Amino acid sequence: MTFLQNPEFGDRIITLMAALVLVLQIAAVGQRWLVSSIRIFAAQSFLLASIAGIIAYFNHASHIYIAALLTLILKAGLLPWLLERLVKRIEIRREIEPLINAPLSILIAGGLTLVGYIVAQSFYHPEETSVRAALGHNTLAVAIALFLIGFFTMLNRRKALTQVLGLLSLENGLFLAAISLTYGMPLVVELGIFFDVLVAVMVLGILVFRIREAFDSMDVSKLRKLRE
Amino acid sequence: MTGLLAKAGLQLVLLLLVAPLLSGIIKTLKARLQTRRGPHILQSYRDIFKLFGKGTVIPETASWIFSATPYIVFVTAALVGLMIPMTTTDAPLSLFGGVLAVVYLLALGRFFLALGGLDAGSSFGGLGSSREMTISAIAEPAMMLAIFTVALAASSTNLSEMAKVAVSQSWKFLAPSQMLAFAALFIVLIAETGRIPVDNPATHLELTMIHEAMILEYSGPYLALLEWGASIKQLVLMTLVVNTFFPFGLSSDWTLRGLGLGLIFYLTKMLLLACLIVLVETTNAKLRLFRVPELLMVSFIFGALALISTFLF
Repeated sequence: MTFLQNPEFGDRIITLMAALVLVLQIAAVGQRWLVSSIRIFAAQSFLLASIAGIIAYFNHASHIYIAALLTLILKAGLLPWLLERLVKRIEIRREIEPLINAPLSILIAGGLTLVGYIVAQSFYHPEETSVRAALGHNTLAVAIALFLIGFFTMLNRRKALTQVLGLLSLENGLFLAAISLTYGMPLVVELGIFFDVLVAVMVLGILVFRIREAFDSMDVSKLRKLRE
Repeated sequence: MTGLLAKAGLQLVLLLLVAPLLSGIIKTLKARLQTRRGPHILQSYRDIFKLFGKGTVIPETASWIFSATPYIVFVTAALVGLMIPMTTTDAPLSLFGGVLAVVYLLALGRFFLALGGLDAGSSFGGLGSSREMTISAIAEPAMMLAIFTVALAASSTNLSEMAKVAVSQSWKFLAPSQMLAFAALFIVLIAETGRIPVDNPATHLELTMIHEAMILEYSGPYLALLEWGASIKQLVLMTLVVNTFFPFGLSSDWTLRGLGLGLIFYLTKMLLLACLIVLVETTNAKLRLFRVPELLMVSFIFGALALISTFLF
């Protein structure tokens, strides 16, 4: 089991899992069912937590374990549970109605991934020939792609709840970029971000509920009109 | 020369024998997961054996294409099987361009299957053929892109060569592009073998059937050949997925010990992939026909991204 100590093996596994996160993200863009997209988000967060765990193991950075554990509990467990409960409570149509149809959205997501790769390339310095530099930049590309696709998902969806999902996957991209580039931010910052996201989702959850009460719909485009 | 013949013969026997078994295993696993008893594992063999003993009916309107199709489908599937490394890294056959020949031989089989469906002159056959062609028009390029990604990493389109490179690099062969290519090829596998989100192998419902519609007019030995050919094609595609992306345990020579070990590893990997397919089949509902191109589009994008990401690094 010598390869378990080999940092190159760790980097390979991390890049591989990052690629899997990307696969899930593109699958989420093509997904039609609200509950399935929530579950895809949960799976994605679980993978992110594993990536954080692996980075902590190979770099002997014990504080990242806490970030990994928090990701696992909050993003892979609590948030999906809250969102699914919300879906059940407000009894909306379970199908997502994107502005742009699915095949074109997937194509755009593919294009955004390319943009991610091209942007990440400018961070890449071939003169530093260490393997870590090359592989870290691969993960960075995936992180930027996640971020961009998350943005696109937010623009592409009409309903407030599905936009929340876009925001969450965007945040996943940020988390991946942070842990793959710096091998962990200070714990205070991580805790701050987690708390932020949790509060954001709760507030948005209440907001979604309120919007539906007031307008009989979650379509945010209706918020443009004033009501007397 | 005799060595080559022996290798080819051995692999052919393996192909012909394992293919119906695999279909049987998938059917049984699926039934158990849905808490049904399901057919016996060896039922596929019995079906094929029984069909060979039956008479055959040929439609009046049919031309020679109708009779030639079962043979062509069967032979192309078996030929492709000989070009793919199964238990060793060394496949017995390697024709013009390796992977390219594999893709086009499969396309040839499908072309004749579609013609055979049309030739019988029933409206269902034409319907099945047109659906099959719609799906394969996107599935085929996706498959090509995915396989080219692996071929690029090994810098050869020869499947034996690809397997050797993959085995010699062990875990270093794992790369993000391989992950994307695997996702693409897995969707293509589901589409090409007519599994649930795309086609249902267990019904003859006119609204949904694709593969069954094309072979609706066949009976007796012809049907046996087509069924056997389809199960060989399924085995071959699954082998392709398993051995290009997870080449662990492929033996590098044709010795008895290497073959035995390779066979054990091979069967284990195939069983795991079969479990994955059964899981996908049981947890998904069949897609509406117009939604199928969307699914294949996802696979195409995965393939394209896989190929492009190998160039960017």
